[in-house]
Amino acid sequence: MLVIKNVTKTFGNKTILNHVSFDVQPGEIAVLLGSSGVGKSTLLRILNNLETKDAGEILLDGQPLQTTANAQQHTVGMVFQQFNLFEHLTVEQNITLALEKVDKKTAQEAHTIALQLLTHYGLADKANQPVTRLSGGQKQRLAIARALALKPKIICFDEPTSALDPLLTTHVANSIKELAEQKFMVIVATHDTTLLEKLPCTIYLMSNGSIIESAPSQDFFAHKNKFIRINNFVAGNS
Amino acid sequence: MIDTSIIVTYWPNFLHGALVTLEIAFIGTLIGISLGTLLGVFQSGQNKFLRSLVALYVTILRGTPMLIQITFAVFVLPQLGITLPEFWAATIAIGLNSSAYVSQIIRSGISSISKGQIEAGKVLGLTHVQIIRFIILPQAIKAVFPALGSELITLVKDSSLASIVGVMELSKEAWYVRSRTFDALTVYCIIAVIYLLITGTISFILHRIEKRMNCNASH
Repeated sequence: MLVIKNVTKTFGNKTILNHVSFDVQPGEIAVLLGSSGVGKSTLLRILNNLETKDAGEILLDGQPLQTTANAQQHTVGMVFQQFNLFEHLTVEQNITLALEKVDKKTAQEAHTIALQLLTHYGLADKANQPVTRLSGGQKQRLAIARALALKPKIICFDEPTSALDPLLTTHVANSIKELAEQKFMVIVATHDTTLLEKLPCTIYLMSNGSIIESAPSQDFFAHKNKFIRINNFVAGNS
Repeated sequence: MIDTSIIVTYWPNFLHGALVTLEIAFIGTLIGISLGTLLGVFQSGQNKFLRSLVALYVTILRGTPMLIQITFAVFVLPQLGITLPEFWAATIAIGLNSSAYVSQIIRSGISSISKGQIEAGKVLGLTHVQIIRFIILPQAIKAVFPALGSELITLVKDSSLASIVGVMELSKEAWYVRSRTFDALTVYCIIAVIYLLITGTISFILHRIEKRMNCNASH
């Protein structure tokens, strides 16, 4: 289980995260919901060792989440908003690079793992193409495949549907659900309320760096009036 | 009028000069690209001391004429106890001068790479050196390849400055042939054509490489 306890982060005088606490079980999807600039992405960046927290604890199975690059690499995976695929490499090389250089797999082993992932995400026939030739949806799937290659326990998605049409949003939601079924801990930062209807998740509404309301998505959709702030946010964004 | 007998009589001189010019250009490019890449990476890094050191190096090398740098290497270094053959002193000076320019080309290439690429590498657990080697440099070099090509062509032409310290490259051979024949027009037309052939061939090869790189990226 991932436990995030009182995590605080400031940039200069501005408090970006203010005593943020929640936990994620294996197989659970936690959705950090909120407008731009409320601290959702910063929290994901802290989990991925791209920022340091000022205070608080992050525990994975009771142990502090390792933040050194070497130990962290197999613990947390990230699918970026802009995908951040390596555009000078082929589709397959985007996956094999870390397998060979970080995980020290042989070229053959890396190729086998990459092909399995690409087949699963319907990209096997694109393996030798440069990523610049992929569509938005294909890039999204490759970004997920790349994040999974090193077998992390936690997968973070930063605004996964911000640039996608409704059909692709459904595909992404299905991919996220599938990851949860495989017992990954999934954390999604988004302002896209349509995603909530497609994902069985726990919603954490954030405002000014704090979680101001939370609810399981089934409970929210069954009793919207009980969760006024989430309801207002959803109503304001729909 | 062009006297073709000069070509027939002195072709070994022109050939020797062209080969020496190519040698200077090749070695100078090796020094310039390898050292310049390293310096460009240092200047794009977080270490303030290294950044300042590279900035000072670039200021000195770009701010003084290459001719002075070559004569410094040939005439001043021996006074400091470092004596090199004229060819090597001039070639190293040309290479070092080129490295200052290459470092700035590489630095601009690195700055054109989005931060997201570096972050993706970090999240995947790649080390800083691996991120530079496998993510930043391949993309940065591709972005600045035309500028690096221009620098290589400049270096070929700058190799003529080695003649000032007696290196028998193309310009010096031309000077020698002119002093024997007193036909400046023919001699300098010949070496102009040879320089054009060298730089034209390099341009053609670089263009093909660039085209191939662009092709690989889009197919």
